[in-house]
Amino acid sequence: MSLLREAERCIANHIPSLNAFITPLRAGQWLDRVREADRRKEQGKPTSAVDGRLIAIKDNICTRDVPTTCGSGTLDHFTSPFNATVVEQLEAAGAVIAGKTNLDEFGMGSHSVHSHFGPVKNSRCHRSGQDLSAGGSSGGSAVAVAADQCYVALGTDTGGSVRLPAAYTGTVGFKPSYGLISRWGVVAYANSLDTVGILGRNTASVRDIFAILNQHDARDPTSLSPSSRSRITSHIQAPPLASRLSSSPIRIGVPIEYNISELSPSVRHAWLLTLSHLREQGHTIHTVSLPATKHALSAYYVLAPAEASSNLAKYDGVRYGTRTEGPDSDRRPDGYLYANTRGNGFGPEVQRRILLGTYSLSADAMDNYFIQAQRVRRLVQQDFNAVFAAQHLLATAQAQDAKGRQELADVDVLICPTAPSPPPLLSKLGSSPLDAYVNDVFTVPASLAGLPAISVPVTVTGTTQDADADAAEVVGIQVLGQYGDDMLVMQVGELLEGKKLDASCLHQAH
Amino acid sequence: MLRPWRVSGAFRFYSYRPLIRSAQFFDSSRALQTSVPTDRVPLRKQLKQDAKGLKAQKKLRKEAEEASRQKWELTVGVEIHAQLDTETKLFSRQSIPIADEGGFGSPPGTGAATSTSDIPNSNVSLFDLAFPGSQPEFQAATLLPALRAAIALKCQIQPVSRFDRKHYFYQDQPAGYQITQYYEPFARHGYVDLFDYDGIAPEDGDRVRVDIKQVQLEQDTAKSQEYPPSTQLLDFNRVSHPLIEIITMPQIHTPATAAACVRKLQAILQSCGAVTTGMELGGLRADVNVSIRRRGETAELCQYNGVSGLGQRTEIKNLSSFKAVEDAIIAEKNRQIAVLESGGVVEGETRGWTIGSTETRKLRGKEGAVDYRYMPDPDIPPLRIGEDLISQLSGDLPASPDSLVALLVGPEYGLPIDDAKPLIELDDGARLEYYQDVVDILREIQVDSNAQIHATLARMAGNWVLHELGGLLTKTDRAWDADIVPAQSLAHLVDQLQQKRITGSTAKLVLASVFDGDRRPIPQLLEEDGLLLRPLSREEYVALAEAAIALNPQMVEQIRQKNQRGKLGWFVGQMMRTGEKGRVEAPKAEEILRELILEK
Repeated sequence: MSLLREAERCIANHIPSLNAFITPLRAGQWLDRVREADRRKEQGKPTSAVDGRLIAIKDNICTRDVPTTCGSGTLDHFTSPFNATVVEQLEAAGAVIAGKTNLDEFGMGSHSVHSHFGPVKNSRCHRSGQDLSAGGSSGGSAVAVAADQCYVALGTDTGGSVRLPAAYTGTVGFKPSYGLISRWGVVAYANSLDTVGILGRNTASVRDIFAILNQHDARDPTSLSPSSRSRITSHIQAPPLASRLSSSPIRIGVPIEYNISELSPSVRHAWLLTLSHLREQGHTIHTVSLPATKHALSAYYVLAPAEASSNLAKYDGVRYGTRTEGPDSDRRPDGYLYANTRGNGFGPEVQRRILLGTYSLSADAMDNYFIQAQRVRRLVQQDFNAVFAAQHLLATAQAQDAKGRQELADVDVLICPTAPSPPPLLSKLGSSPLDAYVNDVFTVPASLAGLPAISVPVTVTGTTQDADADAAEVVGIQVLGQYGDDMLVMQVGELLEGKKLDASCLHQAH
Repeated sequence: MLRPWRVSGAFRFYSYRPLIRSAQFFDSSRALQTSVPTDRVPLRKQLKQDAKGLKAQKKLRKEAEEASRQKWELTVGVEIHAQLDTETKLFSRQSIPIADEGGFGSPPGTGAATSTSDIPNSNVSLFDLAFPGSQPEFQAATLLPALRAAIALKCQIQPVSRFDRKHYFYQDQPAGYQITQYYEPFARHGYVDLFDYDGIAPEDGDRVRVDIKQVQLEQDTAKSQEYPPSTQLLDFNRVSHPLIEIITMPQIHTPATAAACVRKLQAILQSCGAVTTGMELGGLRADVNVSIRRRGETAELCQYNGVSGLGQRTEIKNLSSFKAVEDAIIAEKNRQIAVLESGGVVEGETRGWTIGSTETRKLRGKEGAVDYRYMPDPDIPPLRIGEDLISQLSGDLPASPDSLVALLVGPEYGLPIDDAKPLIELDDGARLEYYQDVVDILREIQVDSNAQIHATLARMAGNWVLHELGGLLTKTDRAWDADIVPAQSLAHLVDQLQQKRITGSTAKLVLASVFDGDRRPIPQLLEEDGLLLRPLSREEYVALAEAAIALNPQMVEQIRQKNQRGKLGWFVGQMMRTGEKGRVEAPKAEEILRELILEK
């Protein structure tokens, strides 16, 4: 199929009711660019693996040619004066920006319903016909991929915002190690956690994009330096790590703390089937303990809002963005110049997190919230370092010492569900924000530790005990690896991707 | 603070002349007064009385101050914000135009032709404007002047420091926070020594050491102009200009010493090349915190920066001159004493000071205190400063003002402290450099002279560089420029004077014409204009003196009977006026006059 046909098919698949895009692809130069790419393809000289392909970009990643709204009323007419590094990298590789995808405002949410431009709908339906959550906050990007509206899509993942929608939509969602992909031009939600993530229909396409984006960028001060990159590469490519999967089986860790009571039976079932499938392939399964996990979610919901309250202080309508009409200072003598602009521009979830973060950074709460949460974050990192065979080359010596405590745990990857339950009905989303926060329980630890993680869809066929589940259910399974072990994480994901796991396997295994 | 030595110095050798002129002025005004009612007090008397009254008032105030000082102890800590001399902003490659260095106007010499700097919002990067998706890029070179300052302030440079965000909403703050170093500043535990010659209060003795708690790097804000009732104009050119904040311990106990501390800090910052402009151009701003406690009382509860037992303090923000520092502290101290003596309680609050006022005014109280919600900046990596960089910079640091003072008053130059100080402080060290050039040339010219003469030459050169040349600059209102009078010319002039080949008054005339552009070499100039001294004989001096004496017998009587020797100087003046121009030497004339008037 020519690239042009493929692109036209993507555009034909565009279903406005899914609300995946805030700014869809506009008629224009893209046709010429795809035709040129087709010509290069015919000559056998494509610029890259994504030359001439349509790539959707989450609308919190800056683009010079189309608006960047972040799903917010405060930026509803905002166009950035510059392109994000990732956008420039993709365009340089010949890719065509397929439009800007819908999201939870500034990336804050787990169902892509907190958008100034309306909620995103999952392209899959519940068997009752009701709309399902697409997951969030990169729900628009996930749906654009799932509904074949683009070749791949970029999202951002701060606490699971790429992996959760991937799990809910049956796509592959990859969050690389923190610092590998440039954040220049990625609108900050919580800088210390934010990563650019990639959503695709298969791991191979995700890997192609990652190869293009995995570059040092001097404009991003948190971008991993070339020297650290080569240090990590030589560690991974030296024995004994080099032989993993190629000539020797891998050791798979199963964190016992992830087997929580809230885990839905169908998800637990898929997890077990996945593990037995891998064991059948000759890999070994090892239970490990990550004791700090139970505090990780709370720590995340202290740290991310704290950074968000700081990052979002700039949206005052003074230099850019949408300004509230009329007097803007609440008419109080000491009122701020932009009190109403901030009050009206942000949606309720963003306001909630700004208030949470403002509180946890305030002088009286700082020690009990922000500082405690940072300690938990450190413990979460140490937990992971203690179980992985590979070293975290950027970790402090103190963290390395923790290794001595669990000498038996030398695993290569961890495998667990991406989300504790299948996608909920949009109509049943709870009024309490805590319900939504719980969906991040399995994704947040990797974010806190900056580790690579991928969510891949596995299909469970045959009988299950879960009355609610489909006959053949697609569940997102997550693979986590040590910092910098991104390639292995993707390879293991690829082993599982699209696997049809029969319930009977499980019974055989037992 | 103007520089009084320029003014007084200019008339040092002419002091009798202006007096004569003013006496004539008063004569004529008295003549005018004959037409006004006779019960009016004569102006001269009136002025005398006023001056007396003022003096008495001052004395009373001084006594009252002393009485309250006996009873109350003042404690002051100082915070200085100084704009660093850097080529770029702190977190963007945006360059800093020269005219942007000053906070409130252009420094001299930049003129009207300056390009972009005058155009508001012409010098901003994406990050300076807090554009979504932009990130900071720390400019390592901005660290160099900051480190020079910290080393000059004897600080311990921290191997690792970090940047924090200080949050508050204001339209001059585009990100909603200022990037600063709150938790882990790059320099700690320094000190500054203040000596009597730095202008500390007499009760502080001859030396005070003020400890410096920390020095931190931070961003400046935008310039905000209000046009009431509803317009605000914002210029973001200044945003993210690198600043250092220097925080002293609360260890100062007199207003004069606090002002001396700020002045000394500025001198140190300028001498090590950390800053480009001082307070007068807005490159430096001071906040002071002020508390008082009854002497001997220790039951107070407050503790600041580890110093305990202090009274409740208030903070006075944004003081922009040394005088403002001193005046604001006096006013605030007196306000706090009045509050406590009337049974009230001092509130912890932020106060402001307007130049020329007598009271501080409340800006915001405790209830309006801002919680800055300090948070480590998650985008900016820790700052790691290597020992090698510190030692390199320490080695390259220019001499400190204190060591310069020691050098100038020491055996090599032998200057009085009153000359040494201004030489160091004037024109960012350019005057001192010029002075040293002049002395070097002089010593080359008189290479065979002995050490005593070399010392004399150094003292004379100091006088001429500071007072004679300085006087001409003041009179013509010109900025310092070493080329107006080349060091070579001044050195030769001083040489001729020291060798008594010309008189002092000739030397002054010659200096004035060089100042006005005469570029002939000094020996040639003196030769061509016939200015070389042809000494008068003793007989000629006696003749001149006797002529002057004969014309003013009553003055001679006054000198003889009332021993008003000051009037001898008047006769010297008469002799110089009547004698041939450039030939009467004042010391010789005075010697003859003494002989004729006193010894007869």
